[in-house]
Parts: sequence; structure tokens; C-alpha cells
Amino acid sequence: MRTARGRRAAVHLLMIAVALVVLFPILFALSTSLKGGAEVDRYPPTLWPHAPDAGNYVAALRQAPLPRFLLNSLVQAGAITLGQLVTATLAAFAFTFIAFPGRQALFFLFLATLMIPGEVTLIPNYLTVRSLGWLDTYAGLAAPYLATAFGTFLLRQFFLTIPRELEDAARIDGASRRRFLWTIVVPLARPALATLAIYAFLSAWNQYLWPLLVVNSTRMRTVQIGLALLQSQEIVSWGLVMAGVIIIILPTVLVFLFGYRQVVRGLTAGAVKG
Amino acid sequence: MTGRTTRRAVLRGAGAAAAAAALRGWRAAPAAAQTPTRITFWHAMGGNLGETVVRAFVNTFNASRKDIQVEAQFQGGYDDLINKLRASIGSSAVPAVAQVYDIGTRFMIDSKAIVPMQDFIDREKFDVGQFEPNILAYYRVGARLYSMPFNTSTAILYYNKDLFKKAGLNPDQPPRTFEEIASYAGRLVKSGATPSGITIAIYGWFFEQLLARQGALYANNGNGRDAAATEVVYDHEEAGPRILEWWAGMVKAGAATNPGRPTAASQRAFAAGQTAMTVDSTAVLASLLSQSGGRFALGTGYFPKPPGAATGGSIVGGASAWILNRRPRAEQQAAWEFVKFISAPAQQAQWYVGTGYFPVRRDAYHEPVAQERLAKYPQFLTAISELRSSPINRATQGALLGVFPEARQKSEDAIEAAVLGRKPAQQALADAAREVNQAIGVYNRTMGVK
Repeated sequence: MRTARGRRAAVHLLMIAVALVVLFPILFALSTSLKGGAEVDRYPPTLWPHAPDAGNYVAALRQAPLPRFLLNSLVQAGAITLGQLVTATLAAFAFTFIAFPGRQALFFLFLATLMIPGEVTLIPNYLTVRSLGWLDTYAGLAAPYLATAFGTFLLRQFFLTIPRELEDAARIDGASRRRFLWTIVVPLARPALATLAIYAFLSAWNQYLWPLLVVNSTRMRTVQIGLALLQSQEIVSWGLVMAGVIIIILPTVLVFLFGYRQVVRGLTAGAVKG
Repeated sequence: MTGRTTRRAVLRGAGAAAAAAALRGWRAAPAAAQTPTRITFWHAMGGNLGETVVRAFVNTFNASRKDIQVEAQFQGGYDDLINKLRASIGSSAVPAVAQVYDIGTRFMIDSKAIVPMQDFIDREKFDVGQFEPNILAYYRVGARLYSMPFNTSTAILYYNKDLFKKAGLNPDQPPRTFEEIASYAGRLVKSGATPSGITIAIYGWFFEQLLARQGALYANNGNGRDAAATEVVYDHEEAGPRILEWWAGMVKAGAATNPGRPTAASQRAFAAGQTAMTVDSTAVLASLLSQSGGRFALGTGYFPKPPGAATGGSIVGGASAWILNRRPRAEQQAAWEFVKFISAPAQQAQWYVGTGYFPVRRDAYHEPVAQERLAKYPQFLTAISELRSSPINRATQGALLGVFPEARQKSEDAIEAAVLGRKPAQQALADAAREVNQAIGVYNRTMGVK
């Protein structure tokens, strides 16, 4: 009994140590953001500021309209996530449950687009968006990323694990394809959908080149460019940049704190009968 | 069903248009007399220094003019900005004025999307007599000024006087030649004063400066100024390899530290007192002073050169303002007014005080704010005298290359290979040159440059 408790304590200690290692960059960013003046460049570096100071946060918010940038990023990343979930679900459903001629060939064609690096499509996409008059708009920011070959692939692989008997049973009971999709497939695929959502959201949130290209005005800028705005051409004020980083990752951390429960519930749903 | 939706959409659209029109009418009413010409200015000045000062300029300008309103838009760093221009240059989705870095000059001229600054200068008989001749020499191509110098800097040597004293070196006499730097760095380390004698970031700009300090050319055809360059020549004579051998030799001997590519790391090492010397842009002087927090006395010296290199000097770095021809004529004219404003003595003095770039014109130093600054940071005199003592020739005017951003990257690959001991200096440069020459060939063919 005592040894069991001791072992558990040891495991917990180990986990805490590993968590600290993983979290270290963020913790150090937080510490750096609170350092004032010359302490940032002191050697050896201090782990925690001697006199924590919020000056960098005030300066960062004065320097760049970060709340506005956060809103823009949220709209862009949210639209992309939603778009990818809808298009990938529908496409994967078709590739899994609907038999049509050329299905396999079409699917591989879909997959082939994964081999095209994003940089190659950047300029053509820019020209399209420009000719649509969507420069400097949310539509321009989100449009090229609303569909995803990777997400379709991910969901198709998951849908394949759904027993065909379920489909047969549903069809026999008179459910239409659409009803089968919404009431049976989507609830079952929650973990896969959550994974795709997280992936899509993060990729969109971290975009740099595309938002830089299609947006001109400060009003429509997204967070990553906001970070660039905090850096001078010749010299970097680390305290200021780290304050910006902390402000920018805060919402994503919050999204995950609340989203996490959903993911776990989805992953374990139906794992245990009861 | 479709019909209904469409009708509703049309109605909604019409409503929105009416509302917008009403709003516009309401907004325009007080101004009434004339609508100002609105122009946008793309710049690459981020951070608490650059962006703040640019914003102040624009606010002052807008407040002083009823006929012109400028909107400043930050477009990322220099590389981001020129890439964005490249993508949009054939269309009207370009600004009226853009700030482009020194090495983008050839590309901007070849793009044919600009109005040469000289046209405005000639038309208005604008006097450039007060501008620093070395700066004009860089931005003049074939005796014409294509863009207006805006923020300029050169590279200088920074050193820690306290560490010099500790190692028994004269803190008021910075080393000037390659040999002196190497021997000083060696002594600093050997004396135990510091773990690193000198820290030089792998930055292609330093290599270009070190070539010019020896009076050597970077590219053929007079650095691309007599005719378009067709190849780089830094691997032809001994000037190029000599730089890399000197650099790599110090690292190998343990006298110098290699901080990698960005200058951010060498700046931090220097500010933290972990290295006795570093080379960097003159624009970081004020920041280095504040980052070091008065922990040591900071000295400045000329950028080094090998002994006996008499014809050499410094090249100016930084960026200039370009007026684009895709915008309507009224906007071009408004852009010219704004360009004149930001290059005027008062603004240049303020720019100098706020950012550390030095004024593009001499009379800016007469402004009280500039005088105050010079009295406070006498180290800054180094930058000015280094520039003014540089003879103007093809080497110090700097090279013009359409593919300069890529070329700079390749030269950094070469430095890195030599410093890490992967390749001998000569071979590293020859390899880089081969790749750059290929890129120049492609550029000249596709842009129709002869």
C-alpha cells in the first residue's frame, strides 16, 4: 500500500518535471515579458524578474492594436475551421458511403494536391482574390483555405471504420443519406472532427505570408503580423515582443482549455458501455 | 425559391448602398470645399522606434495639409515588403509611396512601375545640395536619382571599454585593421576578461561592407553601375577570400564567437558583456546603450579593413522612398509632397533622434534636437565621420543587382560554410558565386535587361 502510493508520487513528480520542460519556453516568455529595462540582457539570465513590471504590455498594446488583431485572427481562423469541417465532412462522406464511377481515381487526385507546396499557389491565389476585389477583407483572408485535402483524407479514413451495417440499418429504417450523415456519422466522428478543427484553427492562426499579402490596412491585420509590427528592422526589444506573444497565445490557450473537454469526451464516448 | 432569395439579396444590397451613400454624404458635408487626395505609404519600420516615428510623421503631415491625407501601412520587414510589391506591381493594388531597402534598387528600376524621383526634382528644381554626397552616390544610377533616401546607416565597430581595460588594452584606441582586431580579440580572451573577443553575426551586409572597405567590387561592370551586372566577382581576387579567412581564423582560434545569422544574438551577447566587440549597424547605437543599461562604457570605431587598403570606404545601407506609377497622377504628386516632407531637415533630425538612422542631409544636424543628441552620444560621430571620410567610387557606391536579396543569402551560406570549417574560403565563395550568377542570368533574361 505504502509502496503503491510512493510509486504514484514518483510518477507524478516525473510528470510535473516533464511538464515544466515542455512549458519552459512559454514560462520563460512570460518571465521575459515582465522584465523591465536592461534586465532582459543581463548575463547570466534571470529566471524570474527581480521587479516584475507590466510596462512591456502597456507598450505592446500602445504599439499595435492587438485586440483588433485578435478579433481579425479569430474571425479568419474560425471561418477557416468551420469551412474545413463542413467541406471535409461532405467530401469524405461522398468518398466513403456513396458509390460513383471514378471514385477511387478522384480521391487520389484529391490526395495528389497534398504534394503541391502552399508557396506555389500563393501568387495565383493572390491574383484571384485581387481580381475578385477581396483584398483587405475577411473573405480574402479565408477563401483559399476553406477546403482541405488533408482533412478529407483524415475524415475518410475515420469514416471507413464505421461499420457498413449501421448504414444498412439506417437506410432500412428509411433514413435519407443526409439524415444518416447528420444523426449517425457526425456524432460518431466527433474525435476526428475535433482533431481536424484543432489542426485547422492552429494552422490558420499561425499564418503569416497569406494575411500579409492580401491585407494592406492595419485595421485588418492578423496577430502574427502584429508580432512583426513589434520588431524593429535593426534591433529586437525582447521584452516587448514576448509581451505580444503572451497576449496572442492567451486566447488559443483559453480555446483549448474549454475545447479539450470536448475532445476527450469525444475520444472516450462509447468506449465503456454503461 | 431562388428568385426570392435573389430579390431579397438585391433589396438588401440596395439598402446597404443607400445607407453607405447617405453616410458618405454626411461625412463629406463638413469638409465640403475639396476632397483631399488620399495616398498610402507602405513601410517596413516596425517596433517601438520605427513605427512610432513614422506614425508621428504621418500625423504631423496630415494635420498640416488639407489637400493630402497619407495613410501609413506597415507591411512586414524589408523582405516581406518587396515580395508583396513584386506580387502586386502589375496592378493598381500598389501604394503611392513605398519604402524599399537599398538592395531592392535595381529591381525597382527594372520593374518599370516607378516614377524616377529625378523627374520631380527636375520639374521643381528641388535642391539636393544639402544631401550627403555618399548617400546620393548610392541611390543615383546613371546620374539620376530614382528614389529618395529615407533611412540610412552604415556598419561600425562597437566595443566594451571596460573589458579593454581589464585586458590591458587602450580603451580609447579601437582596433582598425583585420590584424589588429584578431590580435585584440585573442588578447581579450587570453587575459580572461571575456569568453569572446568579438562576435560577428553572419550577415551578408557585413561581407559587402568589408569588400568595399578594401575598395573591391562585388559585381562586374563597375558593380553593375556602368552596365547591368552579369556576374558577381567577389571570388575572383583575394579581397573576398581574405575576409572569410580572417573571420573563420578568429573563430577557429577561439578569439571570436559565431552567433549564427541574425544580429539579434550578437547584440544580446554584446549588451550582456559576454563579448568585447561586435559589428553592427549605426542604427542600433541608442538601443545598445539602453540595453547595456550603463553596465559598461561603450566605444565605437570604424569598420575594419586590411592594412594598406587605401581606396576603400563604407557603403550606406538602409532604405529609400519610391513613387509608383500605377497610381493616378494626382496621387503621384501628393506622394512627392510627402517624400519632400519626410526628407526635410526637421523630420530627418527627428528621425535620427527617434531611430538612430542618420540624417540623409547635412543641415538636419543644425536642428536643436540633433545637436542635443550628438552631445549626449558622442559615439555617433564615428558613423558620420566614417561615411564622410569614404571616397566615392564604384566599390563604395555599392553593387546593383536585381537578385540582391538572394545573392546576400548565398553569401551568408558561404560565410557560414567557411566559419564552420566546412569549406575553404575560396571554394565557399566560388560555390556561392556560381549560384548567384545563375540567378542573375535568369533575372536578366526574364526582365529583358541588357
